[in-house]
Parts: sequence; C-alpha cells; structure tokens
Amino acid sequence: MKALFSIQNWFLEHVGNIDIETIQKWFLYDPKHPLLFNSALFLGLFLFFYVIYILSRKTHYFRITYVVAFSIFFYYKSSGVYFWLLIFSSMVDYVLSRLIYEEPKQWYRKFYMILSLLINLGMLAYFKYTNFFIDNYNNFFSGNLKFEDIVLPVGISFYTFQILSYTVDVYRGDLKPTKNFIDFLFFVSFFPQLVAGPIVRASDFIPQIYEKLKLTKEEFNRALFLIIGGLLKKAVISDYISSNFVDRVFDAPNSYTAFENLMASYGYAIQIYCDFSGYSDIAIGLALLMGFWLPDNFRTPYQSASITEFWRRWHISLSSWLRDYLYISMGGNRKGKLRTYFNLFMTMLLGGLWHGASWKFVVWGILHGLALVFEKFFGQFIKLPKNAFVRTIQVVLTFHFVVFCWLFFRAKDFTTAFQMAHNISQLTFDFNQWMTIILGYKHVFLLIAIGVVWHFIPMKTLAVMQNTFSKLPLVAKAILLGLIYWVVYATASADTQPFIYFQF
Amino acid sequence: MNTSKYFFQTLIVVIVSGFSFLIFKTILPKKLFTEDKLDSKNVVVDSLLLEALAEDGGTVVEDSMRGTVIDYVAVNGIEFPKETFETYTGNQYLVGFFEKLFQLETKKQGNVRIAYFGDSMTDGDLIVKDFRTYFQEKFGGQGVGFVNITSESAASRSSLTHEFSGNWKTQSYLKVKHPSNPFGVNGHVFYANDTASVAWVKYKANTTRFASELPRPTLFYGSSSNKEGKVFYISGTDTIVKKLNPNKLVNTLTLSEGNLKSIRVNFKNADSIPIYGFNFDDGKGVHVDNFSNRGNSGLPIGSFDVATMRAFHSKLDYDLIVLQYGANVLNYGSLHYGWYEKRMEKVVAHLRACFPGVSILIISVADKSTKYDMEMKTDSAVVPLNRAQKRYAIKSESSFVNLYTLMGGDGSMIKWVEQEPVRANKDYTHFNHRGAKEAANLIFTQLNKGYETYKELRKKRKKAVVPVKKDTVLTPKDTVYEK
Repeated sequence: MKALFSIQNWFLEHVGNIDIETIQKWFLYDPKHPLLFNSALFLGLFLFFYVIYILSRKTHYFRITYVVAFSIFFYYKSSGVYFWLLIFSSMVDYVLSRLIYEEPKQWYRKFYMILSLLINLGMLAYFKYTNFFIDNYNNFFSGNLKFEDIVLPVGISFYTFQILSYTVDVYRGDLKPTKNFIDFLFFVSFFPQLVAGPIVRASDFIPQIYEKLKLTKEEFNRALFLIIGGLLKKAVISDYISSNFVDRVFDAPNSYTAFENLMASYGYAIQIYCDFSGYSDIAIGLALLMGFWLPDNFRTPYQSASITEFWRRWHISLSSWLRDYLYISMGGNRKGKLRTYFNLFMTMLLGGLWHGASWKFVVWGILHGLALVFEKFFGQFIKLPKNAFVRTIQVVLTFHFVVFCWLFFRAKDFTTAFQMAHNISQLTFDFNQWMTIILGYKHVFLLIAIGVVWHFIPMKTLAVMQNTFSKLPLVAKAILLGLIYWVVYATASADTQPFIYFQF
Repeated sequence: MNTSKYFFQTLIVVIVSGFSFLIFKTILPKKLFTEDKLDSKNVVVDSLLLEALAEDGGTVVEDSMRGTVIDYVAVNGIEFPKETFETYTGNQYLVGFFEKLFQLETKKQGNVRIAYFGDSMTDGDLIVKDFRTYFQEKFGGQGVGFVNITSESAASRSSLTHEFSGNWKTQSYLKVKHPSNPFGVNGHVFYANDTASVAWVKYKANTTRFASELPRPTLFYGSSSNKEGKVFYISGTDTIVKKLNPNKLVNTLTLSEGNLKSIRVNFKNADSIPIYGFNFDDGKGVHVDNFSNRGNSGLPIGSFDVATMRAFHSKLDYDLIVLQYGANVLNYGSLHYGWYEKRMEKVVAHLRACFPGVSILIISVADKSTKYDMEMKTDSAVVPLNRAQKRYAIKSESSFVNLYTLMGGDGSMIKWVEQEPVRANKDYTHFNHRGAKEAANLIFTQLNKGYETYKELRKKRKKAVVPVKKDTVLTPKDTVYEK
C-alpha cells in the first residue's frame, strides 16, 4: 500500500495531476499549442493510437478508417475547424479524378483537370495570398482595400500539392485512382507527413495502402535512428539557437556586431536545416513504424557543390514535385534553350512564393532561379576539373550563396535583410573580439558547431553509427530514446540566454 | 519471417522510453545549458551597479509604502488631487515643466528642453525619437537635440545618420570612475588624441519628421590647456576652419546659424581637449536629448560633476529630466531592491544639485519575460523593481510613469513579442520600432493628461499669481523641495 502511495506521489510530481480539465486540454484545439511530434502529449497519444493500430494490422477498412480518424484529430489539434477543408478538398479531387479516369473524351478530361486546379489553387490562393494581393493592390494603385481576416490552415500548401499530384497523375494516366474515398483520404491526411511534409507522391504511397502491413528489422532500426536524430536536430539544435541567438540578431541586426550578424546568418542556415529536416526525419520514422515508406526529404544539402545540386538535396519532395508538375508542365527543357531557362526561373520564382505570401520569398526564389540558369548556361562552356580542392571551393561558395539567400527568407523585411548584408560586409578580422563573442554565446555556438559537424559526417560513419545502434538490445534502444526525450526536455526548460551587448 | 514482431517491439520501445524519460527527469538536472555570468571587459556592464550590488545587494527593505496616500502641497496655487501609492503619477512635481509648456503653447514664448536618460531600451533613439515627435507635433521645435561624438548604437539610430572615425578615445561613465576631464551631460567625454590621422564625425539628417535638417549645429567641448585645437568643415564649396577656445568649463562653437542637411567635422591638433558632442535645435519649441547607454542602471549619473553640469544647464536650460532604467537591474537573482532604491534616491538628489529647478520623471522598468518551467512568464524581479522605482520616485518627489502597467502589466511582454503586429524582440526585453512608438505614446499620453489637468487647475486657481518664472518656483529652496 505504501509503495503504491509513493508511486502515486512520484507520478503526481513528475507527470502532473490529471483531472478532467487536463484531459479536455489533450483533446481540444488550442491555437497556441499545436500538436508537435516533439511533445509529451504526442508521445502519449501515439502510444494509445499504436496499440489499436497494431492489433488491427490485419484488417483493412477498420485500420484505414481508424488512422484517418486519428489523422483528422491530429489536424484538428493544429488547425481547429479547418479539418473540414481538408475533407472537402479530398472529396472534390476524389470525385474529379474518378471522372477523369472514367471519361474517354479528352476534352472533358481536360475540363475536369482544370476544374481541380482551379479549386485547389483557388483555395490555396484565398487562404494564403488574399492579403498579399490586397497589400499589393493598395501599394500599386494607392487603393484602400481592407485586409481580410483569414487564418492560414496549417499544412494547406503541403496537402494541396499532394492532392494535385494525385489528380495530375491520374490525368496523365500514370496512376489508377484509389478504390474508394476513405483510401484516398488516408493518403491525403496521413498524419506523419500531413502538416510539414515530405510531400508524398500518390504513385509512391497509394500502392502501399493495399499491401500487407509489415515492419522489418532494418526498417524498425532505421525508424528509431531517424526519430532520435530528428528530435536532436529539431528540438535541441534548432529550437535553442533560434530563440537564444538567431531571432534576436534578425530582430535588430544593427544592435549587434558584424561578427554576430555573420554568425546569426550561418546560425539560421543550420537552424532552418535542423528544424525542417529534423521534423521530416521524425515524420519518415513514424511512418516507417506504421509500416509505410515515405521518400527522403533532405540529403545533407550544405555539402552541395552547386545550386543545381543543392536543389537535389534540399526539400527533395518539394523540388521534385515542382520539377514534375510545374517545370515539366511548362514545357521543361523540350522547347529550346531559352524556354528552358525561362521555365527554370519561373519554377523557382513560384516555388519561392509557395513558401510564403511575401515579396521576400519571391526574391529568394528569383535568386535561386538565376543561380540555376547561370549554372546551366555556363555549364555548357566551362568544365571545371574534378578534384577535392575545386569541389571544396565550390561547396564553400554554394553554401555562402545559400546563406545569402536565406537572409531574404528569414529577415522580416527587405530593410532588415539589407542591414544584415551591410553589417556583414563591415566585418574585419579580430580574433580577440570573435573569441569574446563566442564565449558569450558558448552554448549557442557549440550547438551551431554540432550542427555543422553533423552535416559533414561521412555516409560511412553514419552507417557505422546506425549499425551500432541496431545491435543494441531492445531495452537499451528504448532507454536511449528516453534519454533523448530528457535532452529535449532539459533544453526546452533551459534558461534563456540573457541579452549581452558587446562593446569593442 | 514474422514481420509483426517489430510492431510489438516498437510498442515496447515507446513504453519503456516513456518510463525511462520519467526516471531521467527525476535523476538528471532539470535544465541544460545553464548560464553562468560572463566576465569579460567587452561586455557592457555598469561597473557602479556591480559595486553597489557587492556592497549591499542583500539588504532587505520592507515595502513600507503599500497603500500610502500621497498628499500634495500647492505650488503657485496649483495642487493636484491626492494619489495612492498604487496609482501614483506625481504630476504635482511637474508643475514647473507644465507651466513652461503652457507658456509655449499659449504665448509661443520660450522653449522647453528635456534630457532623456536611458539604457538599451532607448538605444538607437528608440522611444525617445517618438517621444520627441509627439512633443514637437504639439508644441513645435525642430532637431534631434544633443548627439554624442561616438556611440555604440550609431548604426541603429534612424532619426539621424551618425558616422565617426575609429580613432576617437572615449571615456564613459559606465566604465570610468575618474575621467581625465569631467563627463559631459551625455555621460561621456571624447578625445581626438590621434596625431597620425584626423578624427572626424559626420551627421546627416534623415527624413524623420521635425528632423529633416540639422538646425544650428553647435559643438560642445570642455576646458583644456591646449589652445591649438581647430575644427575643419565644409560649407558649400569652402572649407571653414574654426579655432577651439577651451577656456571655460563648457564651451560652445556654432558651426552654422542656419539649417544643414549634413555636416562632417574634422578635428585637428585637438588632443586632450574634452569634446562632448553636437547639439541640433532651432531654439523654438521642445527639444529632447537622448542620453542612452546600453547596460546602464542609472547609478553612473551620480558621478556627474556639479560645476560642469551647471555649466551645461546654463547653456541648454533643462526643464525636465527623464530617467528610464531598470532592464539591467533585473538579472541579478535578488528580488530585494532596497539598495537600488536608496542609491537612485541619491542620484536624483545629485541631479537636482546639478540642474537646479528641473522637474524629474522616473519611467519604470517595462515588462520582461523569463522562462519558468518551459513557459515564458513575467520575470519575478519586474514587480519588486517596479515598486522600488516607484518608492524612490515618491521619496525624491519625482513624477512616475509605470510603463509596466501601461503596457498591460503581467504577461504583457509575451503578447508584445508573440502577437501580430509584433512590438518587441525575441529577447522578451526590448521593443522594436513599432513597440517603441507605442511605449512613447503611452508615456506621452500620461504626461499630456497631467498637462491637461494642470491647465484646468490653473484656470481654477483662486489668487492671481505672477506668471511663473522657473527660478522662483522651483529652486531647491522652494517648499516642495525642502521637505
């Protein structure tokens, strides 16, 4: 009895008191606390979800419906009532794709396809770009239109692209539509990738729905390995360096030294990579644990020796989507050199705009687009020798170009971006000053350094690490994972770095 | 092969990892990356603050003023209504300042000058820029007031473009206790000691309202035995050379009677002459000098030299001194601010000696958030410091703006950082331009409300009083100040 009591006390102390109100909070939408993979709540919910999931692994409809229900709940936790929008979009495209598939007349098929594009892109445009259009209208025509009060549903950019890939594939004859609506909704709403990707292709995913559910030893180990890495990247490195350093410098770049400006821009490059790729890795890992394979989204992009290569390694599911559905639809490289350049450029420009409704994303896209065109154009004439030295220089140059472009991506406006660029241009070598700053922000710089080193770990070493991890006994893996949760927790509760003003 | 096996293994991993996390949470530290205090000569920390802390940082003072009613004595027939400690504004102590505003507004006579001392909150002319604009909008006046020779925050100043050569030697009241020459009113003294290359400073007006030009650029410098110093600057196509006459404690040199768009001044043979800065004002309306210093706690003001300050005062004629401090006093772990209260009371007394007759306004620390248990909350030191500031304001007969309550009180900084439109930075301490403008508006609105009440009271006062002259009303001998 006494033991029971002390367990209860221990539980109260470390898990917290659980009353009706707390339980309600777990299940109700709270705009301030979306359900993130790196939260304790998600872990708890996933545990309960997973028990029934694996018990029902041999069923089809029950399991599919069950996952759809959980996914919709997951989406509701992040977006509230907008889960209806997700269901509505899915319904529209399910019906249109069926019609396209069954319709022999090309003209009608084209009509349905265009209708789908209008509806999907129309909704995306409404929710994401209305105020951007209003703002531009007011600026260019001195208009006086009021901003609309529109909430951007979480993940709409991701699932719109995912739905479109399905309809276009059916239209192109590359894909058979799903057997019924619930299967399609399963593909659209699958919670691991629902709000932040990877953007899964219908042709990669839908066949898996009809296969027997399985999880091999390799997949199991890889999944855990990805989740551990993802948690460290997202919830430790990215979250810590952003709130304790990068955000502050981007808030008021002129209050910081040139070196701090420079380090904040490097820091942001690491932050966005760790944030995004970490979250993708967790998504891929979770999907694997549920028996589904999702495509890789990042392959150490900062190792790229050119912007062309960068886009094969950065947010791969998006860049390949843009290539297959936008670039190729515009004619790709089939309509002569000039058109190829134009298509490349436009693809990147629109790809930029996809990231957010602001001119700064357009400029970010344009810069990358120009770099791609530049590389394609000069690539015909100039053949660089292939050796480690040349490649190193290329990697360094590419990285710095990417970091420069990130300034526009991250800064809140053009003025801030230019201020940062200007401040960095004032940099002079001053070892003592740099050391003082590094010591002042030692935890931040340590994490940035870990992020960089991690990025450049050779594939072989990573394979050895994963292999070693695979050989651990099951319980050891679980304890290691628990330890990682603690690291995440202790980082999240870490004191915020007090502000420091340096004077030299 | 049984492929289901790994589904169940996953379940075990999820359960065991959850439990081992709970155990790790019990046995391992609660926080990673704990911050230790930085010890570097390059970090801006107020040395007087550190000294004061070391001496009696632990003193516990009881909050004796809770619920106190503050009753005022009439000054020239003006008596503001009683106030409680909780809602204290101390408008009564601004009577001299209000009367000057009144003369300015009704008779277009005289001018009003405000010295606004602050820390990084007012760095880059944040808050003060808008505060100045609000006053100049209502009462007239052009120019940004007094500007330093060099400043660590010159780059972030938007109300004026300020550049300078790297060879100036600077002494700041934050770091130096015994400067080679007294500090200027800006708490700094600068020297052009480099004989190899010219030390220069350049100011350029931006498109800021009421500061789109530099009116009457005037150099302020101190006394020295070096009589060879010269300044060179270009006016039109001519290079003009003027000699510095460092004979008095504070000397001025007006470089142009009119307005300039920009000016670059070179200093030659001026070594060892204490240079203070430039003043830009058109002599009419309201002028506000921003004396901000990152890291300042307010205590360094106590080291002003009385004679030098009086010399500055005779030239600049201040009516109001604003003290906005506190952000740098929050982070020292103690919630007892008796030591700070006591010392700031002395600072105010010292200011009254330096600037006889001036009104004083204390602006409290703003809200600041700190992470407690993974959640940002108002720092536990904000309220105690805020009360200490109010107490020293009352005791030193200064008026008071409670910026913390005005911006929304508990948890307001979180809203300013996280809600659109964003008004404060991610350090949960400093405002951005938008937030600074709002803060300035809150401060100005309170002052203006006090001023409007003053006008009402003035109308209603019984006996006719000779128009108030500052000297007769608010000399230290006055009843208000003699208690």
